[in-house]
Amino acid sequence: MHKYILFVLSLFVLCCEPPPRYESSNYTTNLTKDKFVTTNEVSPTEEYVMITTAVNLPLYVSHDQKAFLQWGKKMGVRTSILGPSEWDVPGQIATIEQVIPGKPAGLLINGTDPGIASAIKKAVAAGIPTVVYDSEIPNSDRHSFIGSDWYEMGRLQGERMASLIGGKGKVACMGILGMENMEAGFKGLQDALKKFPSIEFIGKYDDKANVEIAARLTADLLAAHPDLAGIAGFDSNSGPGMALSVKEANKKGKVKLTTVDAEPEHLQLVKEGVISFLVGQKRELFTWLGAQFLYDMRHNTLPLSTNDARAGIVPIPRTVITGSIEIDLSNVDFFLQNAGKK
Amino acid sequence: MQIKERLQDRVFSLAASILILCIIMTFIFPTQFPTVENFSQLLLNLSIDTIVAVGMMILLISGMFDLSVGSIVAFSGGLAGYLMYYHDVNFLIAIVAGLSGSVLIGFVNGWLIAIAGINPMIQTLAMMGIVRGLALMLSGAGIQNFPYNFIYIGQSKLLGLQAPVWYMIFIVLMFSFLVNRTVFFRRYYFIGGNERAAKLSGIQVEKMKIWAFVISATLAGIAGILLSSRLGAALSTSGRGLELRVITAVILGGASLSGGFGKIFGALLGALFMALINNLLIIGRVSGYWQEIILGIVLIVAVGLDQWLIRKMEK
Repeated sequence: MHKYILFVLSLFVLCCEPPPRYESSNYTTNLTKDKFVTTNEVSPTEEYVMITTAVNLPLYVSHDQKAFLQWGKKMGVRTSILGPSEWDVPGQIATIEQVIPGKPAGLLINGTDPGIASAIKKAVAAGIPTVVYDSEIPNSDRHSFIGSDWYEMGRLQGERMASLIGGKGKVACMGILGMENMEAGFKGLQDALKKFPSIEFIGKYDDKANVEIAARLTADLLAAHPDLAGIAGFDSNSGPGMALSVKEANKKGKVKLTTVDAEPEHLQLVKEGVISFLVGQKRELFTWLGAQFLYDMRHNTLPLSTNDARAGIVPIPRTVITGSIEIDLSNVDFFLQNAGKK
Repeated sequence: MQIKERLQDRVFSLAASILILCIIMTFIFPTQFPTVENFSQLLLNLSIDTIVAVGMMILLISGMFDLSVGSIVAFSGGLAGYLMYYHDVNFLIAIVAGLSGSVLIGFVNGWLIAIAGINPMIQTLAMMGIVRGLALMLSGAGIQNFPYNFIYIGQSKLLGLQAPVWYMIFIVLMFSFLVNRTVFFRRYYFIGGNERAAKLSGIQVEKMKIWAFVISATLAGIAGILLSSRLGAALSTSGRGLELRVITAVILGGASLSGGFGKIFGALLGALFMALINNLLIIGRVSGYWQEIILGIVLIVAVGLDQWLIRKMEK
């Protein structure tokens, strides 16, 4: 009996197909391996799929998804938006992996977490043009990345915070701890604040992208540090939560607030003078251009050789940083009027 | 067994529902659904949930549940990843450490519930937060670049199926045998059915409860190691919401929150049913806004239909 079990187990081990060995690199292992499906015909059934996590997040719905759907309408192609409704990275991976067998014309993947790299590799290996947007996914083999530099967004907040508080005092920050892009942002903030020896960084806090938690954390920070000079926020709900508690504590203007994103709610808080500085992303721009990259790759819009796919050339930009939008009281009206038009 | 009795068996009725669903999906999506690639992906995606669901089924049979399993998934992978990446620890030792940590969490849960008398919901809810915090401290923004040997565990393939699927099959078969054939595991049905009577009949209920939590946490730990190996990354966000997904799958598979019922195959079929619905929504390109609503309705209809069928047969 034991012999049979040993035999079956040995057979299993011997028949196993090992995973490929990948070299660690920034975005691709070997350009000559790049192969992707191209066509000259444009079909209305041609489908481009956007895959994200937290698909119902208002920030994604009103910017990324809106731009993607508009792009699809303009180009006359089908667009689909898929992904789990909660912040569920394995759920996003499962969605990518289940979309691959259907061989869509292109995949526009939100770079939510480095853990999605292996799923992106599978899409690229299947010959599907694949663009990562928002945040970079290292070692993913993606054909292109377009999005924001979160370290830079943190650095911008740090520099503005230092100037707002006169280069001295206590500063805290909040966002989602453990997320690669936000951790990069926290680091950018801390690096910028380190240049000011009179500024004391008291810590980073997890608001779990929840307004109520951000408000509670802010209230606790204000109670624990009555001399708190400023707080920096790193997710869409940090700013509104921080502003709520600062208003309730009657510390508007006394505790300086900076945060990311430029939703109407954030803009209004800048107008009211509760939040001093916003760093926005060009979300519509990177979504639109990301989708366009997929289309251009699929249709050989600007060929660089007689056959780019076989020549091992990716005929679209490999990395595009779209930059940030800086908003304060001096220019907030332009953005508020624009938000009103939408 | 008579057809009437068969239909009263949740495992049988759920298997029939899955078969019908597969036939319908084959007709609606003939080029996308019935493909080897799609099925292997589907099985791979349900493997982690199913391994955790097996442990949850044992707990639910004995009338308890564990809300900390999702956090344990993140913790075990995180601890193994942390040791390999930051301390160059051999991958086998790192795996043993990840699993030992999970066993310890299970033991603490079990001891505080069975001996100290803390309510399982409160205890495991508190443990969920503690372990998630530990996972966050260990994994931070995520750990990558694991040794090849560790990646091999979750990414190698056999007969076209990725390794976690085979681990899932092995665990389901093993626990199905143990729960059906061994006295030790059969005792959980007595405990779940009537704890007091089980105690009076000489069963060491407290000890059995501790073991149930240890088994559940160990399986969650195995799932965490496999997930990290499969993704090639240890993520502090892994397993978020997994506990509710697994409890739903297990109840769908025939368990009862009051205890005393359930089969290991039911856990597999419950997870498979949910994975199929998810697969249908993705292939059908159903917008993310609708997915939760449809999933909720399907679950209510599936369980409701099952109950209706049972009542009708009983008359």
